[in-house]
Amino acid sequence: MTPQKSIWEKLQEIDRRILYLILAIAVTVPLWIPAKLPVIPDSTSMDLYGQLMSVPEDKTVFVQSDWTVSTRGESQGHLEALLRILMARRIKFVIYAAADPQAPQVFRNVILGLNQEREARGLPPYRQWEDYIDLGAFLNAEGTLNSIGQDVRKLFGPRRSADTEGRERPVLESPVLSRVQKIGDAGLYVVVTASATIDVAVQRISGKTKLAAMTTGVVFPSVLPFYQSGQVVGAAGGLKGVYDMEFLMANGVNVVSPTGKVEAQFPAKAELTAPPLTEIEPKTVTFARGQRYFLSFHAAIVLLIIAVVVGNIGMYKMRKNRRGA
Amino acid sequence: MIPLAQAPPITFWGVQPGSGEMWVKIVVALVVCLLIMFGLTFLPNAGRKAVVWGFTFAGGLFYVLLWIVPTPINRGPSDLPRPGEEFGFWLQDALPHIVNSANILTAFLLGLGIYSLLRVHLGRIAKRQPDREFSAILLVCMVVMAGFGYADWIMRRFGEGREKLELMQNWTPVQYAFDLMFDGLLQQMDAAMFSMIAFFILSAAYRAFRIRSVESTVLMASALILMLSLLGALVALWNGGVDAMAVALNLPNASVDLKEAHFLNNFKLNEVANWVRSFLQVPALRALEFGVGLGALAMGLRLWLGLEKGGISA
Amino acid sequence: MQWLDTGWFGIVITLVMVTFILSNIYRADKGKKELFIRRIPGLNAIDDAIGRATEMGRPVIMVPGIGSLNAVSVQALNVFAHVTKTAAQFSTPIKLCVADAAVYTVAQEVIRDVYQKQGMIERYDVDSVRFVSDRQFAFAAGVSGTILREKAAATFLLGEFFAESLIFAETANSVGAIQVAGSTQTSQTPFFIAACDYVLIGDEFYAASAYLSRVPVLVGSLVGQDWCKLLIATGILLGFATNSLERSQETSVGRVPLAVAAPEKWTAMTEETKSVFEAAEDEIPLDKPRLRKRNETSVFRLFNPLVREADLRVERPQKPPAPPAATGGAQ
Repeated sequence: MTPQKSIWEKLQEIDRRILYLILAIAVTVPLWIPAKLPVIPDSTSMDLYGQLMSVPEDKTVFVQSDWTVSTRGESQGHLEALLRILMARRIKFVIYAAADPQAPQVFRNVILGLNQEREARGLPPYRQWEDYIDLGAFLNAEGTLNSIGQDVRKLFGPRRSADTEGRERPVLESPVLSRVQKIGDAGLYVVVTASATIDVAVQRISGKTKLAAMTTGVVFPSVLPFYQSGQVVGAAGGLKGVYDMEFLMANGVNVVSPTGKVEAQFPAKAELTAPPLTEIEPKTVTFARGQRYFLSFHAAIVLLIIAVVVGNIGMYKMRKNRRGA
Repeated sequence: MIPLAQAPPITFWGVQPGSGEMWVKIVVALVVCLLIMFGLTFLPNAGRKAVVWGFTFAGGLFYVLLWIVPTPINRGPSDLPRPGEEFGFWLQDALPHIVNSANILTAFLLGLGIYSLLRVHLGRIAKRQPDREFSAILLVCMVVMAGFGYADWIMRRFGEGREKLELMQNWTPVQYAFDLMFDGLLQQMDAAMFSMIAFFILSAAYRAFRIRSVESTVLMASALILMLSLLGALVALWNGGVDAMAVALNLPNASVDLKEAHFLNNFKLNEVANWVRSFLQVPALRALEFGVGLGALAMGLRLWLGLEKGGISA
Repeated sequence: MQWLDTGWFGIVITLVMVTFILSNIYRADKGKKELFIRRIPGLNAIDDAIGRATEMGRPVIMVPGIGSLNAVSVQALNVFAHVTKTAAQFSTPIKLCVADAAVYTVAQEVIRDVYQKQGMIERYDVDSVRFVSDRQFAFAAGVSGTILREKAAATFLLGEFFAESLIFAETANSVGAIQVAGSTQTSQTPFFIAACDYVLIGDEFYAASAYLSRVPVLVGSLVGQDWCKLLIATGILLGFATNSLERSQETSVGRVPLAVAAPEKWTAMTEETKSVFEAAEDEIPLDKPRLRKRNETSVFRLFNPLVREADLRVERPQKPPAPPAATGGAQ
């Protein structure tokens, strides 16, 4: 007769589909539970917010959006936060993809959604040509970023867009790009990415302009060496980064809230203060995505930790049993 | 001086979009390239290798020169080079054309990829191999997607009333079909594949993340700290506990509201995680990146100078 | 590159490193002595993995990542050429799945060459090298499907991998394949370590072809890389020492933007000129000495030279304005 397996041994041989089912439930159910969890923003996020809030109003921000719908859980929140800040501050921006031909359609949808949100609240929409320029996709990130670093006008020169009267004109004539001669004229260069295009941006244009990053959680650690060295001036990483940005939009950095508390304190940079966006944008719509997913995120991480702990206890028990036998 | 708001004038390399001259230039370039390719097929193997290396060297040389030769600073749109600056100007002017040429070459190579797909899957259907129905689905999807994508592009770019297509209420069945396939299917399937990683992370963690040695224990401890530091609720709870302890111990400067400096601050979860990131993770990553960068440099040099004597050039 | 932007120092250091690598390649090519390379378990496992595939009668699947044709994918193909050579000797079927059309073209040539050199061209299956898709997740789905259907006995995942790394590794694990993996993307290495049997970490990936072939040129290049690492390590130590020393000392001169150094000049400038001179900096005497800031150390200055206003003043001859009809682009 074969000896009966202990619960730990059974758990070691568990069908992985059961694990998948548990994870699916653990991640899905919290999406319906409205919970506002506390968060302490990372220094990288606070720096990014500070940088975005201090871009001079007459400067154009360059947004390189290299993500597709596959990473929208993280990247869409990043892009929304970034564009909300720029739109609230009426800062002009140019947006394009440097790696993926699918990316422009995705960022266009985000701009469309934000404009609808603005219109619903009686705020003026952001208009192509006047307020922003959508350049579509450039393929070959290495070559594109090299050209941007070398001579941005040469690269953008052939691109055309309809002006406010519907005439096709070179984008360099638009109010957004007419003041940009070289990449150093950008107010900030933000890479919203789910891949290694941030590495290419660091290689090609850091030092020529201020570079910031908004990356998925997986890519984020590879940005940290550049943040430490000052080549990247601010960064938001993963879903935590999305929630950080939402929290900072509501509370600012090193700013005393009406309750008398400093919600987002950055002791290492006490001199850095950035006001919240709440005066311009009502809280209700703006601060949603990171907050909504944060409980699911908690559930997934807790489950992961439980899985690791259970797996190790099982291994320990089995070894003990074998030694005993 | 041409004002900044104006686009640089069009040269020989750039033509007015949509003009007849553009189409003539495209056709001429296509014919010339096809002739060159046809001519290359007659070259013996050794000759082909020399041609490949020649192209590699020329391409590499361009980027090396671009990197070493100082390019002009503060160049205005209508500036002419000063003595000594001519080469820098030339390099800077040539870059966008080199990048575009590389992109065009890559686009042509896609044709070879599609040929491979067709050969594998048509072959499977013709030989009546198992799973041939999937091959059929793949081919049908490829043709339909490309067809509707092209039709949509033509309508949006050159069609009558193309401006109206920006609004969904003016869409024709072509736009609806393409939207369904691109946004409705392709994008969602991409997202589904990506989200599978979460499941795989869980099963990999359950199966493989085991404490078997001192190294794996260190790895596990640092991973736990970083994972826990991502849980905002737990961090708030933990840090609240640290603050309360500081107040209870009556530490100098301890104040829950202002979170001023006191020794116990170092044990706040986000601070510990920051320390692990800044002093363990980042230096290790930096060292790895140095190694990878040097490897790429050495490999690039060997390829550029034709010194690579491994699988490819052997 | 603009020397004023990044300084001469970066270029000189890179040229020194290039010299290290090339001189060692030259030295190794001339010398007869075999140089030592430490053991890399992942590469030793290649023969075992192929042997297992042969015993089981199942194929070996190789994936060179989803990057374009660059040094990384070429290196991956080098290793795959070695794998194919061994597999060809045992008539073990291989599959090489590619996501980039340019890599596909080169891969096809390389694999056919291997069979030809082994004198076994009849064993070469044209469809063994296949282009799957250049869409990341379509490629992931296609390769996972191949791994599952073919029940791969061994998988080699070497190259530029991104989010698809764990999908491949876990799928191959589910069919019991031996896995050797390595990525130049450090963010993906942890996933490979969790799910694969052998992992090439960091530059072990680039050492692979030297390790497998022991060709002097490749081994020499590896030695050159080690010299470069020593140079970098020395640089880090020197940087640490000088920075620590300098930042603990007081300075009476501060490095500031032009707008602070010469406000009267700055305010007199037009908006367009300001954009030109924004990068300019200067040094001003301080009211009282203070500790040096991060951007006032000599190491920082090596990489970020002080660009003064005079450096940016460039007067160039201008092109004559073109007649309106000839400009074409601007309307």
